[in-house]
Amino acid sequence: MNSESLYQFSTPTVILLLLAFYGGTYLLTLGIRKKHEDADAFMVSNHRVGFGIGAASMTATWIWAASFYAAATSGYTYGVSGPIHYGLWGALMILFIYPFGRRFRKLAPNAHTLGELIHARHGSSSQLILALSNVLGSVISLMVNFTAAGALVSVLSPLSFQAGVIIAGVGVLLYTLWSGFRASVLTDFAQLVALMAIAVVIIPAVFFAMGGPTELVAGLDNLTPEQADFFSMDAILNQGAPFFVAVLAYAIGNQTISQRLFAVNEEHIKPTFLTATVGYGAIVIGLGMIGLMALTLGVEPMNGDMNNLIPQMVSGYLPPLFIALFFILVIGSLSSTADSDLSALSAIMMADVYGKNIARGQADPKRMLLVGRLTMILATMVGIVFASFSLDILVMLVFVGALWGAIVFPVIASCFWRRVTNQAFTTSVLVAMVLFCAARFELLPLSGASGLFFELLASIGGGVIIGLMVFGFLGRTAGFVAGALALVAMLLFATGFLRDYTVLLASLTAYGASTLVCVVMSLLSRQPDFDFATIRERVGDYEATHDASPAEEDDALPAATRLAGQR
Amino acid sequence: MTTLFGFYVLIWPALTLGVLILICRAVLRDRREARREKRELV
Repeated sequence: MNSESLYQFSTPTVILLLLAFYGGTYLLTLGIRKKHEDADAFMVSNHRVGFGIGAASMTATWIWAASFYAAATSGYTYGVSGPIHYGLWGALMILFIYPFGRRFRKLAPNAHTLGELIHARHGSSSQLILALSNVLGSVISLMVNFTAAGALVSVLSPLSFQAGVIIAGVGVLLYTLWSGFRASVLTDFAQLVALMAIAVVIIPAVFFAMGGPTELVAGLDNLTPEQADFFSMDAILNQGAPFFVAVLAYAIGNQTISQRLFAVNEEHIKPTFLTATVGYGAIVIGLGMIGLMALTLGVEPMNGDMNNLIPQMVSGYLPPLFIALFFILVIGSLSSTADSDLSALSAIMMADVYGKNIARGQADPKRMLLVGRLTMILATMVGIVFASFSLDILVMLVFVGALWGAIVFPVIASCFWRRVTNQAFTTSVLVAMVLFCAARFELLPLSGASGLFFELLASIGGGVIIGLMVFGFLGRTAGFVAGALALVAMLLFATGFLRDYTVLLASLTAYGASTLVCVVMSLLSRQPDFDFATIRERVGDYEATHDASPAEEDDALPAATRLAGQR
Repeated sequence: MTTLFGFYVLIWPALTLGVLILICRAVLRDRREARREKRELV
């Protein structure tokens, strides 16, 4: 295969494709548009989104442009097990998050963001830390997705990188701006159907065009022993484990996920997340197989850029129609995530910043909508500008995930353990962030006593991750036992060894440090235990509270909503 | 070996198709329910 050139669409063709995609999506949203949108629905629809739309939206949101490129890169780099070490862990994290999601929903059934729940539990400082981490993640996600659009347009057409970035940014903003989250979930369904249908066709098409299973098996000779081993330790330690650690944090710290947790009909949370788990895993691992195919064929990524692998394979083996389908596949995946990020950012600014910290219980729904829409416009502009810096997607993924790792334990503990205090939450996150940076950027030497110090923290972090996962499904006792066993195993096997895997060490350090500080400070605190029932009373809808006059309010609204308005 | 690798690659698009059908059927059901209860889908 000629790896030096990719099929090129003409400028009118690529513009027509983009126009058809974004124009069609925009027309779809006209069907649900209201002259006067509801501020609560703008953030979480009606809290009763059905299983089908919910599962489609979860899957489409979780799959972003990086999913394809990074899965293929993983397949190409680590061989047979590579696609699994990218896709399976990402998929399982959707599954592992739902027990905690059900708890969040039980505590605050009418919340719009996880930050509102934390605000009711602890107050502003903890809430704003969570909101800040959410904003950071969503802006980076926007940037990555717009970058992917620019890269795709520039490699498959004469249009420039900048043109692709701007078209994607403006296209996503146009269809999301008016109806917010409602537009996001509706278009997610349409985008996912297109994305899945194309994936179902493209993966076998490339596979058989390259020669099918016979050619793949013959090409296994091109692989190193590590790449040919399904249980490759190289793949586990360099790809699987850091990603596994990072994605747990993604699921907890990502407002796009919590937004859907609060939007889906409470009874459908479990099937929604189970379906999204299988859907995400199947698509991402399947497309990652294209990277493995490229490796067995001895294809070199064009210009040394791994992101060119899938376009190269599709361009080299399939006719132009399939290349157009691939183009739509990537544009669909990046747009569905970008619109979710815009909705997430607007909800954070509306509820966490304006609702809880500026208006302080006097939130005007119309002003909230204005805040939300202005946030979307600003975030799109920031995303487009930042997209100019082409950064390594995989490294960024791990970095942001690890930052969120510092928040995982304090957030979960705050929802189950009455003793956690605001001070413990805030301090533990800040300490963990500092120690994460020290390990990740090797600000302290990772040898001798300091190396051992980080390995001890990382071992605690490993125990915490396993403990939390088991706790989510099997309860407290099983969680403690599993966590303790994992800690002992880590202390035995990781000491003197983990320091060689900086990414993994740093990510685990974030979990370990935040857990240690949070637990010690909470145990030392003399504050009275928290009453979880008060969260439900403090978090409610904004429209209902604002519409009713004070006199009517007392009669017409449940206590929960009234108290939410007062805060 | 050839069959095993063929299965390893093709199982993922097959699973994707299964989930696609499941989601489409569920959305149609959601739509019917929403109409019956005279509320919007989203």
